[in-house]
Amino acid sequence: MKSRSRKTRRTAPAGGKTYVFQLFVAGNESNSTQARDNLARLCKEHLMGRHEITVVDVLKDAATAYAHRVLVTPTLLLIKPLPKVLLLGNLSDTRHVLAALRLIGGER
Amino acid sequence: MARPTRRMHEHEEAGLRKNRKRIRKIPTGIVGLDKVLDGGLPAERMTLVGGGPGSGKSIIGLQWLLAGADAGDPGMLILFEERVASVRQNAAGLGWDVAKLEQKGLLCLLDARISPEAVVSGDFSIKGLLAIIGQKAKAMRARRIVIDALDALLYLYDSPMRERHELYTLHEWLLDQKLTTMMTVKTVPQEESPRYAFLDFMADCVIHVDQRVTQQITTRRLRVVKYRGSGYGRNEYPFVISQDGINVIPITSNELQHRPLGPKVSSGQAGLDVVLAGGFRRGASTLIVGTAGSGKTTLACIFAQAAGRRGERVLYINFEESAESMVGNMLSPGLALGPLIARGTLVIRSYLPEAMGVEEHLFHALKALDELQPQHVIVDAISACKRMGSEQAAFEYLMRLLNDCRERGITCFYLNQATGLDIVAEISGIGISSIIDTVVLLRHLPVDNAMKRQLLVMKSRGSKHSDLFHEFQITDQGIELEQI
Repeated sequence: MKSRSRKTRRTAPAGGKTYVFQLFVAGNESNSTQARDNLARLCKEHLMGRHEITVVDVLKDAATAYAHRVLVTPTLLLIKPLPKVLLLGNLSDTRHVLAALRLIGGER
Repeated sequence: MARPTRRMHEHEEAGLRKNRKRIRKIPTGIVGLDKVLDGGLPAERMTLVGGGPGSGKSIIGLQWLLAGADAGDPGMLILFEERVASVRQNAAGLGWDVAKLEQKGLLCLLDARISPEAVVSGDFSIKGLLAIIGQKAKAMRARRIVIDALDALLYLYDSPMRERHELYTLHEWLLDQKLTTMMTVKTVPQEESPRYAFLDFMADCVIHVDQRVTQQITTRRLRVVKYRGSGYGRNEYPFVISQDGINVIPITSNELQHRPLGPKVSSGQAGLDVVLAGGFRRGASTLIVGTAGSGKTTLACIFAQAAGRRGERVLYINFEESAESMVGNMLSPGLALGPLIARGTLVIRSYLPEAMGVEEHLFHALKALDELQPQHVIVDAISACKRMGSEQAAFEYLMRLLNDCRERGITCFYLNQATGLDIVAEISGIGISSIIDTVVLLRHLPVDNAMKRQLLVMKSRGSKHSDLFHEFQITDQGIELEQI
């Protein structure tokens, strides 16, 4: 993965809240594996370990997927801090993902 | 839901019997559509229903599921666009208690709307959807699935290539699961290269529905574009969305199943019975042509009165005047229709031709035949039917109604108002005269400073009728024919 983190903040945002994620994957399909790796890297670089990730395999647990209306894999849910965020795809566009998760912003 | 008629049931059974050797089919629950599909949708395959906005594609899917639930066959409706609550409401409008069916596990409405706040980053697949469908279907033993407006999810790909790939994956998966699927697809008429055209190649059965406006009157049409491994009705068929749901009216049946003409039945007028060599034949069709005021309605009402006295029922479809004004006008030639109506032997249904499209008119007429089971039908006047939209619309209406009457052995009278003086040239009656058994001509002629009324039986199949012009008068005792 390209890692062109330019001037992104390397610390977690103010308050130091723990980020709670739910990542929905479909077994070991390539997009799901990529999403796992991308998320792990993002958390390491931007949250410095203050995160919790629950991985749900929709092939094994469709009920949880339906409860969250997860139709596509991979899907990443940011549960805390509020407001919730819903991200679809393998999370390959790092800046896009960071912006959606409010981990960068106000740069322009 | 429309109550299937006995006759259509027979058709359906015959269709299914024929197909037993071929592919297995699942009835849609829409009688006319099953007839067009020669039994129903292909089992364990995918059927595509394409159409524009408001064309009725989603209702077809819903009705299929409801029919299944009613027969104890569970189904799932996956909604990518519409809210679950609004579908429940729509179904309630058709008289179905969806919540009850859901409780019984016969129907599952699955909310598959993607949150508009979702952010896309990178590639993804619809595996989650498949997992959810698979699990639900297994849990409730659902065999039939309707996928409504999947494009609302697919647009997230922002790539026709990816959309196509996912649709192929979905199709393969559905086939593997042995699910019978109906998928709705939005189409735009006259679109150069429709985005989902490839689906027509992929699916085993493709149905197109549309809604169009001709001469300010809206009509709905349905056409089966393809059906692998099965025959099907190849025409465009009109359909109606009524309070019962979808009603498809196949204009042309494959086979003519007309009954032979029955015995003679009195015209209600002794002199005319002589001219007709005994009267009209039961199950026959008669065209009564004449200029305005020549006595067409009077002649028809005399017949209706005589029929009523025999205890037979007459359905009078009036496109010219209301029942009240007709009853009032017929008092002058001494006809008391009021008591006949009160006894239920005469039923007058008045419609404004331009009030609805031809299929809705047909729907009302055929429904009346089912409900009333009349022995005789009178249409006054077929010349007004052109106002249903076009000459073609009038022809469709009259042909279909006549056909149905013949199959049921109903005596049918079509009154036609001639506009010119040369009535003989005008008897064509919107192109239906070839299948008419009897033609009665009424005319006004100036003879010796007075207008004389004349009646001529121009043709009468299977009887030795008079071929003379007979003078007649309309008195307060009905019609008086001069002695022959």
